[in-house]
Amino acid sequence: MSTYQWLLVFHVTGAFLLLGGGAFAASLNLMALGRDRPSDIVLLFGLIRIAVVAITLGTLLAFVFGLWLVHEAGYGYGDGWVVAAIVALIAANALGGAGGRRDEKTAKLARELAAAGDEPSAELRARVHDPISLALSYGSGLLLVLVLALMIWKPGA
Amino acid sequence: MLALIRPDAWNLPLFLHVLGATVLFGTVGVVAVAGFAIRRSTNHQLLLARVAQRTYMLGVIPAYILMRVGAQWIDSKEFPNGNEPGWVGVGFLVSDAGAILLIIVGILLAVRRQRILLAVPLLTGLYVIALGVAWVSMSGKP
Repeated sequence: MSTYQWLLVFHVTGAFLLLGGGAFAASLNLMALGRDRPSDIVLLFGLIRIAVVAITLGTLLAFVFGLWLVHEAGYGYGDGWVVAAIVALIAANALGGAGGRRDEKTAKLARELAAAGDEPSAELRARVHDPISLALSYGSGLLLVLVLALMIWKPGA
Repeated sequence: MLALIRPDAWNLPLFLHVLGATVLFGTVGVVAVAGFAIRRSTNHQLLLARVAQRTYMLGVIPAYILMRVGAQWIDSKEFPNGNEPGWVGVGFLVSDAGAILLIIVGILLAVRRQRILLAVPLLTGLYVIALGVAWVSMSGKP
């Protein structure tokens, strides 16, 4: 295989870890929305950490090998679709990171409630359904889909 | 450089195929992880079984359909005469054999017997690896 093909393999692997990790986290987050017991929230939010590892590794692979591919394939770093994809990827990580930090506080509260009798709590329910956290996390996911679209259509290339 | 040139008409099917494949990878991963967690957890087996079932019904099946329809659509555009190279065959092998495997997983999840559920993480874990082989083949086109 050529250098271009190898770079594409690693770049696409990053995209699979990134988008697949997003789908993984979204599936568990949707399940958490329907649960009241703190220990259930602890379990589901704990499993989401696997997705965080995949998303972090995927972002690194997609970004590094993506930039290398731009050079290898003869595109310009100032091309509109390249700039838009980089901005969208950075914004997706910023939104996802902010949502993740809010979810970590929710998980901490869930752990405390689980240790103190595991009774449903209005505060925990409100935090799990917090519209800002949900908007940050799902907004991040939508931006990742936009990055995929930019990679495929390459508008202006 | 020839590999970079792609007619505009191929973009939508390719987008749907890749989007479906990535979501399939993530949701099959959830079923696998939930299945492995069932083996360890004593307090949350019912919840984890529900996670696996719902993700299978609402995530895995729609994502598989999106991936497979996108694959057939772009294949019909890229290789209208059917002279497909080997890397396309790897993709179809993984997707079609994967369909049989996913049907078995669906039956196991519907039965929900404790011992039978133990096979779910093994089968889905195997499929996650097969999806990895497919995306390396699809992107590298060796």
